[in-house]
Amino acid sequence: MEWMITANEPNKTYLMQGNEAIARGAIEAGVSFAAAYPGSPSSEILTMLGNVSEEAGLYAEWSTNESCSLGACLGASFAKVRSLCIMKQNGLLVVGDVLHSASLSGVKGGLVLVVGDDPSAHSSTNEFDSRHQARSAALPMLEPATMQEAKDMVKWGFDLSEQLQQLVMVRSVTRISHGRSNVKLGEIPEESIKPTPIGEWDRMVAINWFKAAQLNKLDQAREIFENSPFNWYVGPVDAELLIITCGTGWFYSQEAVEALDLKESVGILKLGCTWPLPEKLITKHLEKAKRVLVVEEVDPFLEQNIAQIIAYNPHLNLELLGRQGQGIISRSGELNPDIVRNALINITNKLPVEIEKVEIPADEMVVLPARDLTFCAGCPHRASFFILKQTLRIHEGQGVVMGDIGCYTMGGQRAGHYLYNYLGCMGAGISAGEGLGQLERFGFDQPVIALAGDSTFFHSCIPALINAKYHDSNMLFVILDNSATAMTGFQPHPGIGLTAMGKTTEPISIKNIVESIGCHVTVANPFEIEETTETVYSLLKKPGLKVLILEQECATLAVRKSEKRKVWVDPDLCRGDDCGCGRFCSRVWGCPGNIWDDETGKAVIDEVVCVGCGVCATLCPAGAIKVEGGEAIG
Amino acid sequence: MVKELSKDPLNIVICGVGGQGNILATELLGSAFVDKGYFTTVGETYGASQRGGSVMSHVRISVNTEYGVLIPQGEADIIIGFEPIEILRVAREFANKKTWVIFDSRPNYPLGVLIGEAVYPKIEDIVNELERLCAHVQIIEATDLAVKAGNSQAANILLMGALTAVPYVPLEVEEYDKVLVQRFKGNALELNRKVFKIGYDLVKK
Amino acid sequence: MPGGMDLKGDVLNNSICALCGACLDWCPYIKNLEDHLVLRFDCNVEHGRCYSVCPRTFTDWQMISEHYLPDTPKNLEIGPYINVYQVKANREVDGKQDGGTVTTLLKTALEAEFVEKVLLTSSDDHVVPQAILTADVNEVEKAAGSRFLSSPGLRKVIDAQLSGLEKMAVVGRPCQVQALRKLDYNNRPENHKVDVLSIGLFCMWSLKWDFKDYLETQFPNEEILRLAIPPNGFEVVTDQQVGNLPFEKVKEYISSGCHYCLDMTSELADISVGALETTPGWNTVIIRSQKGQELFDKAVELNYLVKKGYPEAELDRLKQASLVKKARAIKVMEEAFANGMKPFVDLAQPDYVQVMKLTEGVVK
Repeated sequence: MEWMITANEPNKTYLMQGNEAIARGAIEAGVSFAAAYPGSPSSEILTMLGNVSEEAGLYAEWSTNESCSLGACLGASFAKVRSLCIMKQNGLLVVGDVLHSASLSGVKGGLVLVVGDDPSAHSSTNEFDSRHQARSAALPMLEPATMQEAKDMVKWGFDLSEQLQQLVMVRSVTRISHGRSNVKLGEIPEESIKPTPIGEWDRMVAINWFKAAQLNKLDQAREIFENSPFNWYVGPVDAELLIITCGTGWFYSQEAVEALDLKESVGILKLGCTWPLPEKLITKHLEKAKRVLVVEEVDPFLEQNIAQIIAYNPHLNLELLGRQGQGIISRSGELNPDIVRNALINITNKLPVEIEKVEIPADEMVVLPARDLTFCAGCPHRASFFILKQTLRIHEGQGVVMGDIGCYTMGGQRAGHYLYNYLGCMGAGISAGEGLGQLERFGFDQPVIALAGDSTFFHSCIPALINAKYHDSNMLFVILDNSATAMTGFQPHPGIGLTAMGKTTEPISIKNIVESIGCHVTVANPFEIEETTETVYSLLKKPGLKVLILEQECATLAVRKSEKRKVWVDPDLCRGDDCGCGRFCSRVWGCPGNIWDDETGKAVIDEVVCVGCGVCATLCPAGAIKVEGGEAIG
Repeated sequence: MVKELSKDPLNIVICGVGGQGNILATELLGSAFVDKGYFTTVGETYGASQRGGSVMSHVRISVNTEYGVLIPQGEADIIIGFEPIEILRVAREFANKKTWVIFDSRPNYPLGVLIGEAVYPKIEDIVNELERLCAHVQIIEATDLAVKAGNSQAANILLMGALTAVPYVPLEVEEYDKVLVQRFKGNALELNRKVFKIGYDLVKK
Repeated sequence: MPGGMDLKGDVLNNSICALCGACLDWCPYIKNLEDHLVLRFDCNVEHGRCYSVCPRTFTDWQMISEHYLPDTPKNLEIGPYINVYQVKANREVDGKQDGGTVTTLLKTALEAEFVEKVLLTSSDDHVVPQAILTADVNEVEKAAGSRFLSSPGLRKVIDAQLSGLEKMAVVGRPCQVQALRKLDYNNRPENHKVDVLSIGLFCMWSLKWDFKDYLETQFPNEEILRLAIPPNGFEVVTDQQVGNLPFEKVKEYISSGCHYCLDMTSELADISVGALETTPGWNTVIIRSQKGQELFDKAVELNYLVKKGYPEAELDRLKQASLVKKARAIKVMEEAFANGMKPFVDLAQPDYVQVMKLTEGVVK
């Protein structure tokens, strides 16, 4: 809730989402500049900062991609204002070059980079552990364990950044970003920081000359971290078993110790500063322990760096357990209280007080159908994938489909008729398609289709499209333009004409960009299934690079703007299971709005779910699906 | 002084399918608890699952201390469900013999069912299994009642009313109402108040 | 009766589809663009109408023939017939192919109210075929002329059926006449039945749609006005010239399904019409049923058609050509069936054995 992040109520406690707390922390630090590219679980931060931009006197932008956002923050930092950059873990990889350069040039005004990691990849293609990038780029890093810490660390991160003249990373994870808990507010500065003029001899330059300075900053950070209140220890002075943890692991460890009644024998060292590691603090605790269990999200990052400390300190003689050590915690996937509890049970052989839980024999359990992710009711992507699938079958040329990242990633799953042959990262579809499209000279004659959404187009497809055009790759590039960054929650992008701060701006036409590169563009409506199928078919038959924009607004947005039309099944016309259509509307079209009434044996529309796009009406062979006001689509 | 809980921490799971309004309902509930002075933690699993996938929120409240965002297996005290198969899926993992379960029996068919690869189980079979797993099972036709009251979207608040009426939930109608007043205005507020009361009365009876 | 996935496995995947169109438009799974006809999505219907009407799924053609033309004298070479005539339309029809006989018969059928509508193939550009279902004589006249690209015209049968039409005439290739009989024979009792008067065309083959691209490369930027096969090659009349294409080259574009066709003269039709090679401007007409005879007589009575007796030598030549087509198809099938294709004709049937005997040494 936006009002919480600007509420001038010091010491008041609110239930805050981790992302809200992060935004609040930045505001308490007097942030003037914020830039981000959306990505779960970090997206809400910039949305909220954008919404309060006027009130809080800050500038916020949804940058075209992560590199743009970090670059923009560096620019702001040069003028000594405080800037916050936000992205998800994949974004941190996009931004690798900028990050490593920034670390050499250092910063002027405080620059905090918040990265939202996604252990178990709930909303990602992978669960990359961002902490490797902090180590690689020699950047100080903080990891909050509570929503309160998320706020406080971001706030303090700005001070640290200015003290070290270095960028500071804050690593959140899904459970922090999307969790909520009590957060006590701090003060909001009355005056915002004004930019400082950049003098003739002021420099912010990234060259290797500054490597020594970069490493000095890291050493300084380590010294500061040794005494940071974000690191603490609970437990007996001479705990034989030491848990070292950070982030979400703190609560899980604490709860496990309590549940197993191990408070007397197990200590927990909770680290909030996870790069560079406060080696003295850690060594002090290692000296007392015989066994160490490291509890952390994703990779054994702390664990391996602790192993390094142990290696450099021959007097330490202990057993190191964790995601790597004895594989006591699985090598991949998100932590949860049970994983940590089971690890402790494994190590200590201590059992918790039994909960009275009924175990039902497997053969007596109700068979529960899995719940696949699917496109929303009325989603234009459903129509686009239907069209592409059928066109490839009709074309009979074994077309290869290169997917990309967005809601339409589900096109590779059941919802999209398992269409994808290839899926990489953002922008990878068109690049890989370009390569495949060059193989015609060696006899490769399958048509190649690459897909990208509108936001992805701006984010990372333009250089690849130029590449494909310049080298005349034999490929059809399809832009699924739903006028939204829908997957992450409808953030505006350059094609929308709206900024993060709610200001209108001139939208940039994808069609114009594509045409300016010299490509011929076809625009079609995915809701006009048969016409667009013919369009795709004819494009597939043409040589060279073809670009098709499938334009139809995201249904979730469209339905917010206008009254939805009523769609219903005329039971007199629906022939039910006798039709011979094999329940085409629900079974093949697969829209959650098209359900089957087992009692009548006929199709029905789930009115609660249906958004009234009316496409199913054009597919019913019996003409039984009716649309209020005729069958106009879209 | 914050009122002691009959069980501390009190663990509540709210589950359903993306788009049913679980997250908003949970957030309001959590805010009401914080306003009463409880340590409150909410964990939410959504993200890609907003695209018709399962959505689950964990709400944990305590007088003494803050807890992690996830409830350990078998430790849910109350499970509120927006969808029958999701409630059973969650109950298998998080319920114990003392757990209260309240849910809307209106199915939201997964894609596998729509395309005929899987069969949606019978509601009575789901109830049977829930009754073996839990202490108290109650169906509330939240969506249908919300439609009658004016808008299917209000089903979430209706179920929150039901939850508030569960004996060991330390919340009064007026306390949740405060949060409603904070977040809604005009017709939306009136509708939400109305359905909250409907849900509350169905359990209190 | 099997369903859509069987149609896919037995017919479509084997490239023996005749593109008659009988399976189209009824079914949301089967879809075509140009001459690509596919199952666009996997079908779960176990007993499909598609399979039951397809001319390339197993059929006892002798039984079907006996059922629909029981009183017509049998003939091994060109199928059962009552009469054969030399025929010419009495009136010039724009774009006519040889005798204009088909157009005239359709005109007669509509004017004399033999039928309510006629289903035939038209073309906007003289190359790309489109099926039309019409009651308008002007439209019929505009559609005159042969089409060489295969086209699934029978898709329109559903329109006739759903609109409750009682009687219609259908002009079709032999495969389409076969499908019309199967459509009728296997019609489900709950579906309305249209009484069909079938006018079958003589057909050696039809062409793949790639031929269109080939035409474009040979006659770039010219408007095609007419395609024809006079005795000496493949004639292309454009807005700029009367051109010729080498016959061997054209044959490369023959639709794969046509190689499996046993029928040159539409042996199941009520009335069959084809070219008469020795006398340009005239057609051959084969009357096979009473219905066909009545329509023909009416056209003659109205003085729309001029008829002559059919030369014996010409009939022998026609029969021989038909026999050779059958024998070639049988050879192709024998090989395909031996290689694992599911047989869709019983080649041990005495007629086919007889065909092979008669053509021994003629067809390699």
